[in-house]
Amino acid sequence: MGIVRTYTAGDELPPLVKHMTQEAINLFEGSAGHRGPSQFTDEATARATLGTRGTVASGRMSLTFSLELLRRYFGADIFNRGGMADLRNLRPVRPGDTITLSGKVTGIAKEANGSRVSVEITVVNQKGETTGVGTGNCLVPAGFLPPEE
Amino acid sequence: MVQTPEDTRKPLDWEKLEIGETFPSYSYVLTQEMLDEYRLGVMDPEAAFPTISHKVDVGGYNRTYKDAGSVNARCAFHCYNPPVPGKRITVQAWIADKYVPRGKTYICTEAVSVDEDGRLLDRVITHELKQPWEVGKKWG
Repeated sequence: MGIVRTYTAGDELPPLVKHMTQEAINLFEGSAGHRGPSQFTDEATARATLGTRGTVASGRMSLTFSLELLRRYFGADIFNRGGMADLRNLRPVRPGDTITLSGKVTGIAKEANGSRVSVEITVVNQKGETTGVGTGNCLVPAGFLPPEE
Repeated sequence: MVQTPEDTRKPLDWEKLEIGETFPSYSYVLTQEMLDEYRLGVMDPEAAFPTISHKVDVGGYNRTYKDAGSVNARCAFHCYNPPVPGKRITVQAWIADKYVPRGKTYICTEAVSVDEDGRLLDRVITHELKQPWEVGKKWG
């Protein structure tokens, strides 16, 4: 049995900071074999497709960071087998940006085999602009929760 | 003269696109190199779902339709079992929804990934704005 964990609405998750680079974006895209020019890896393609001044990071990178934020909080043993994140991308994240992800527990709902802990997620860049907002949750098995009274 | 493969994809007709359209299943082998490169890219040595970067939910759409491009407006990812390098992964993807807020067209695609042992790995749902130039108009 794992360590017993307690969750309370209002609990804040430890923030997660990511420094975005073009190299990181290229690695993310390349890891799936996407090595041709795209709006993520090539400035000319980004200008032509998006009309932006340069490349942007895939929204899936911020989603991945959201999963990391939650995994670190809940633990990989639980989150990787019952967690989720749902992120709305509000502004582009670009190479050179530093983004900070934060989260707060918003609710705990009992289910047949544990409790589903819900979290709100916010992503803010170095200018204080919100680049993404979303939610996540994780089913925490009853065995990881304190025994009921 | 070099001949390029003919692009047999259909131009997107958003009005005719049917919610529920299912794309041919797709499979690939996840390699350790893919996982390593993904972990470097996301700066997380414990990242467990490199399947995210494969963008498998929109892959079926992009192999079927051609359009002016898209922007990821919203994306959800459900974790069930971390994929194992060396295993073949099969993906089933479909059109989950489409909608038009404020005159802009969105397509929602969804996919599930299962490995060769039958383990359900993950589910991904993406909402794509089909007018990608809106990003530059708004944010530059």
